[in-house]
Amino acid sequence: MKITFPYWGHYTPAITILFEKLGFDVIPPEKTNQASIREGSKFSPELFCFPLKVNVGNYLSSLRRGADTIFMWENLGGICRFRYYWIIQQKVLNDAGFKAKIINLNTSHPILRIKEIKKINKISWLRVLKAFYHSISIIIFIEKLEKRVAYLRPREETTGDADKTLDYFFNNIDEARKNNALRKLKKETKNKLKKVKIIKNKDIMKVGIMGEIFMVTDNVVNFDLEKKLGQMGMEVHRDLSLSYFLRHDACPWLDYIAQKRVNPYLKSTVGGHGRDAVNEMLVAVKKGFDGVVHILPLACMPEVTVRPILEKIHKEKKIPFLSLSLDEQVAEAGIQTRLEAFSDVVKNYHHKKHLNI
Amino acid sequence: MTIGIPRALIYWKEPGGEFWKTFFKGMGLDVLISPPTNRKIVAQGAKASDTENCFSSKVFLGHVLELEGKVDSIFIPRMMRNSMGLEYCPKFFALSDIAALIIKTPIIFPRIDFKKESLENIALKIGKQFCDNPEKIKKAIDKGQQEIKKREEKKLQSFYKKMKSHRKKIVLVSHPYILYDEYVNLGIEKKLNDLGMELIYIDEIPLKQDRLLESKTGFMKKLTYDEIATKDSEFPNWHWEFGRDITEQVEKIIKISLLASQDKIQSNDEKTEPSPLSLLKLAGAIEISAFQCGCDSVLKEFVEKMFKQKKIPFLYLLVDEHTAEAGLQTRLEAFVDTIH
Repeated sequence: MKITFPYWGHYTPAITILFEKLGFDVIPPEKTNQASIREGSKFSPELFCFPLKVNVGNYLSSLRRGADTIFMWENLGGICRFRYYWIIQQKVLNDAGFKAKIINLNTSHPILRIKEIKKINKISWLRVLKAFYHSISIIIFIEKLEKRVAYLRPREETTGDADKTLDYFFNNIDEARKNNALRKLKKETKNKLKKVKIIKNKDIMKVGIMGEIFMVTDNVVNFDLEKKLGQMGMEVHRDLSLSYFLRHDACPWLDYIAQKRVNPYLKSTVGGHGRDAVNEMLVAVKKGFDGVVHILPLACMPEVTVRPILEKIHKEKKIPFLSLSLDEQVAEAGIQTRLEAFSDVVKNYHHKKHLNI
Repeated sequence: MTIGIPRALIYWKEPGGEFWKTFFKGMGLDVLISPPTNRKIVAQGAKASDTENCFSSKVFLGHVLELEGKVDSIFIPRMMRNSMGLEYCPKFFALSDIAALIIKTPIIFPRIDFKKESLENIALKIGKQFCDNPEKIKKAIDKGQQEIKKREEKKLQSFYKKMKSHRKKIVLVSHPYILYDEYVNLGIEKKLNDLGMELIYIDEIPLKQDRLLESKTGFMKKLTYDEIATKDSEFPNWHWEFGRDITEQVEKIIKISLLASQDKIQSNDEKTEPSPLSLLKLAGAIEISAFQCGCDSVLKEFVEKMFKQKKIPFLYLLVDEHTAEAGLQTRLEAFVDTIH
């Protein structure tokens, strides 16, 4: 059994590590690119949302490299189409003539699932624990690294220094994984980050990113949004991440707190991260951010539902707001233009705010 | 006091706009239902709505805008789950919040969760806001429930009548708010009747009577992935109520049709007239979706598969605010030609 899974931005190496340590023969997914997106959307149902097409594109390239089993995750708490991804993808692959099997890793019986994996791969509990420890520690490191780089980007002396470190880490992580040299790589990355020279006391604009979790966190499908905004001189704040997802799955009271905050605008969940987007926007207003970028796949059900509410907040609080719907037709140049225009609006807003004070 | 009920989306869903109308009237309130969908309503709805929103939501917002200024409050319940605990479309959850952004009229938005509360309890709670006399409220609820029964009977009778007819039968798969809204579906029933076809609404096909029992005996327990994967099921473990209903109804009508076609083969040599059972054979199936309907993009995959596996001709139509009647007419004519 050779397994693969959909590509998910910077988290891909962490997921690879998890499955490898669990004893699977993993074929890591290729980085999403325009060709794979095009191929994926060719086979997928036209009116389905964009991430499904991206996933199918990833599968096709992995299947050609010898994978025969795909791990896909069904989120039982979600109300949106994500629930049916694995079953639709199975149908798409069957129709396209591939004999791969998609295994749905949902969260309904985690312990049972792990026991099954233990049995198949004949590994000990210690190894299971180690696998989870390793992957979670690498996820935490990646998220810290992303945060730090987002902080450094607008402040660095020579543009691109922080990103070079980020690239260094992700270029070498595969090699390090094979040689068990992850700790060394982490240390090197940390040292490199420390060496990035920054301009102190720089007037920095703060921008929040929110929306659909895959589009927000996958740096390929959103055309490196964070990097682009960062290099335009904005400090990017992003709440949505894998750990955010897991945290909210484990602690339902966090949703309760969010609901309390968004109550004047929205009185129930709308599935996906719709409510979270409203919540994050309100937090951004409260924290005094200079702008908000809302990013979603075209016709995403939860995000499209809450978009009028976000626009209302934008009109009420006068905070700059940009909503980007992406699909396989969008070109990078168009996004670049819109972001540049947005950065001008943010700059004006920022200066105006400071003059008033 | 006048209460406005938009004639879209939740009006056509259970318990139905007729129920709410009789219920509010029974308590001595005036009720204004927005007029049947027309060009103006669709245009203003599309203008007020988010561009990527589904067509049905746009129509709904058009109806809400139509009521603005004519009524004291608008009734938009927040539909959450049905009696089996299956969810409605997530867009139903936030309808009242979105409507509140574009109108100034106050909105009555009771939370409807049939899994937790029965219809009587919910209606009683709503009634207490308008009426002090509990007897009167209860009477109003009873009247409303008779209305529901009447509707169900009417549906069933219409189904049997249509099944007995000698014309070829086409089943129309869609949501009730598209099936029964003649402007939205562009009068497809009349068009097909003119072409000599009998149109059966998927909504009319009776569901299993013991569905509620089934839910009590643990149907809704979450299946593990192996159970789903090994079970050679044609559709997933739905968490959407319409998904479950429609796939069940489609399965039923296909079963009837298969039985009918077997019967025809046996009796073909002896009789010149078709046997009564062979009348039940399905000639084709049409599915209509509102453009950008996220739920239908999932549902369509399974409905299409089910029909195509049994070699029943299938036509998929998308409607939006720009769909022209002439185009639909051509496609229907072509489809009917393939059936003959």
